[in-house]
Amino acid sequence: MALSDFLVSLLTVVGVYTLFGLGLNVKYGFTGLVDFGHVLYFMIGAYVTVVVAMPSGAADYAGIGGFALPELLSALPLGGFIGWLLAVAVAMTAAALLSLLVGVPTLRLREDYLAITALGVATILHSVVNDEEWLFNGPFGVREVYQPLGGAFPLSLGSFTVNLVVFGLPSVLALGYVAYRVVRYVRPVSRDAALFTVAGVVLTVVGFGVTTLGGGAVVAAGAAVIAAGVYAVSRGVRVAGGFGRPLALFAALVFALWYLVMPAVTDSPAAVVVNLVWLFDPTTGANGAVTYSRFILLLTGAFVALAYLWCERTVNSPYGRVLRAIREDEDVPEALGKPTFKYKVHSMMFGSALAAAAGGLWATHIGFIDPGQFTSSITFFAFTAVIIGGTANNKGVILGTAVFWTLRTGTRFLDDYFPAEYATQLAALRVMLIGALLIVILYYRSEGLLGEQTYDTGVSPRGESSD
Amino acid sequence: MVSAGLVDALAQGLVTGGIIAAGALGLSLVYSIAGVPNFAHGDMITVGAYLVLALNNPAELALVPNLVALPFAAAAVVGIAAAGVFGSAYEFAVFRRFRGKDADLITMVIVSLGLALILRNLVVFLVGSKNVTYDTPSGVNLNVDLYLTGNGLAVELTRRVRGSIQTLDAWGYGWPALVAIVALAFAAGYAVYRWRRGDAGFDEVHFVDPRIWGVAGFALVAAALAFALRGGAFGVADAAYSTRVGVSRKYGLILAVMLATMFCINYVLKRTKTGRAMRATADDQSLARIRGVNIDRVQLVVWVLAAVLAAVAGALLGWYSSSLNPNMGFSLLLPVFAAVIVGGIDSPYGAALGGLLIGISMDVGVFLLPTEFATYRTAIAFVILVVVLLVKPEGLWGDA
Repeated sequence: MALSDFLVSLLTVVGVYTLFGLGLNVKYGFTGLVDFGHVLYFMIGAYVTVVVAMPSGAADYAGIGGFALPELLSALPLGGFIGWLLAVAVAMTAAALLSLLVGVPTLRLREDYLAITALGVATILHSVVNDEEWLFNGPFGVREVYQPLGGAFPLSLGSFTVNLVVFGLPSVLALGYVAYRVVRYVRPVSRDAALFTVAGVVLTVVGFGVTTLGGGAVVAAGAAVIAAGVYAVSRGVRVAGGFGRPLALFAALVFALWYLVMPAVTDSPAAVVVNLVWLFDPTTGANGAVTYSRFILLLTGAFVALAYLWCERTVNSPYGRVLRAIREDEDVPEALGKPTFKYKVHSMMFGSALAAAAGGLWATHIGFIDPGQFTSSITFFAFTAVIIGGTANNKGVILGTAVFWTLRTGTRFLDDYFPAEYATQLAALRVMLIGALLIVILYYRSEGLLGEQTYDTGVSPRGESSD
Repeated sequence: MVSAGLVDALAQGLVTGGIIAAGALGLSLVYSIAGVPNFAHGDMITVGAYLVLALNNPAELALVPNLVALPFAAAAVVGIAAAGVFGSAYEFAVFRRFRGKDADLITMVIVSLGLALILRNLVVFLVGSKNVTYDTPSGVNLNVDLYLTGNGLAVELTRRVRGSIQTLDAWGYGWPALVAIVALAFAAGYAVYRWRRGDAGFDEVHFVDPRIWGVAGFALVAAALAFALRGGAFGVADAAYSTRVGVSRKYGLILAVMLATMFCINYVLKRTKTGRAMRATADDQSLARIRGVNIDRVQLVVWVLAAVLAAVAGALLGWYSSSLNPNMGFSLLLPVFAAVIVGGIDSPYGAALGGLLIGISMDVGVFLLPTEFATYRTAIAFVILVVVLLVKPEGLWGDA
């Protein structure tokens, strides 16, 4: 598997969980509702999307379903895709209505009651989905997942050159734009800090290289070199007087080394080109093509962009101002005549609908769903991601989710260096570190990497209305 | 043929309820005094259970040195004490720091969640996720078979020996004796209750609530009369209703340990200076501080007590169900929270009663529902929780 395939898969996962995290941020970040059952709506979204879009009479499936919405609309142009979008809409509505049922009894009470009740509902409905085969096939899951526009992929436009230009050029431009933004952001950093960071990158990478050679003493030496690298980066952070730019530089350099330099060394320069034109897979078919997983990435990106804009618009509106006021002190908006209970219910439904959309995308990405994918740890990971990025910051959700899932997926590589029987131990260690990270961030930097976002309140600093 | 019935489910529920009550008692102390809705409490139960396991049956644990293997009772005492050390670690390493920053309720919820993730996966890391058991002497399971016949109530004490049922003892009560036992015991219980509450006043704090005295009096007199008035066995072939209750020394010991634990907590809360400081802190932390209460010390005691109570619940749960796994505590978290909220979060006594109520409802509910609902034991606790939240959000015995 080329590195670009891995990158596409990682970005899709980050996109799905960003959508999920945006929903959580609406509830937790902007309205202050601790919904420990957020994964419930993710699960509902995944199952309802799959079941509504599934053709009837699917093999090995005993649950309800088979409404075949895409087939019903197949007469229309893009009918299958519209049918799938409708299925996602149905899933979002179902999740919103379910959260209404959960919210009405609990949202009038103290915030901790919501946390335990939501966790309870999620746990119990999870066991219902797991135990009741007539519902969604129980523990055996659903294999019949509709793939919107699945027939059109791998997409090829004819000759290899046309494909390369049409699909490769935007990929390179996108990478270049990201690089440009990173460079512009990192540039103001002082030379000393930059040198420390670069030294840190070199030491860390060399350390990892040494560690992979194996052998007890060599591994210890490698670990020592990695520690020296981490120390150098921390010096860089101290010299720079802020952690943002050195860490961005560090991440960008490590990414460039991993994604562009390493393939050139271990493989061939052609591999670098393959990685650069990441949206285009030259190895599929005779003339290369855009694979389905890349389409799912673009689809996820479109969903995330829409959800981001929707969330931004909501929190910047007077409506969002009321939500924040409820978070800070519910009595104040109540005294000003705002029906705070209604606002809280709306916030629950809105956030749950976003989680359901994430669930629908998740099912399409994975192609197989079972109850084991929807444990309550998914909620806790989303909380961690939101808190890393910055609670009540929509950009922070994107950043936090990217950091969280990159770390979590990246550390899986370490499993290769340990005997297989320690896999459970390593997984447990990872979750322990997540818990510790959660506590450490809340203690030392409770505002997360980015802090709460600034709002476009329509009021200029001098107190005059700007619009 | 007698089969287990409602009375057996009640007895089971009493034991389950006792275990939940121990968890709920600790959670309620932390909730009301430390102000933390502690989502790590379930995993504190797990940690306590595994601490006892590490001393009792270390051969089951992969990454724990196989040093000592104490008998279960000794291991339980040492392990529960060790859990207290863990409790002080939670306070010093995590919660004291966040209290120093005046963290709000939501932050505390999420911090306790982080601690829960750490604790549960620490157990998985050290032990793995397979089911393990304590090394305990095998107990003797007795069956008490009750028959309701035209002549009265017949009792048979049986046990299963190599597949066949052996009758150990049998006796019976005629209807007049039965009525006399119930009436006399009820009268005695009520009399004790009236006698104990004779000095009731708003400034009088009873060490043991008169209602508990009443129930104890009822139970004691009923047991004494039942022993004194037992008559000869009679035929049970025409029994209108028969039921079997499984009992064992284990159940009795679990209930005895629970009663002793609750008595100790009651003593600490009502008769010691620290206990008064704890209750004052729960009422109003600033006022308590002004009156010279050392808040940090009180919080430390609360966390140690909570961890000890969680370990008691964990050890008893692992013993009762004959299996331990890293999720045992987390799956008990919902019933424990339900018990605390049903009882009223500010009242440790409410939490204990709530625990009994939840435990009995869970086991009786599972008995009454069709068998395919057996997996929804926790859901019963949850339904009670939601109904109480809707109808009486301050809890059944709370005064908030």
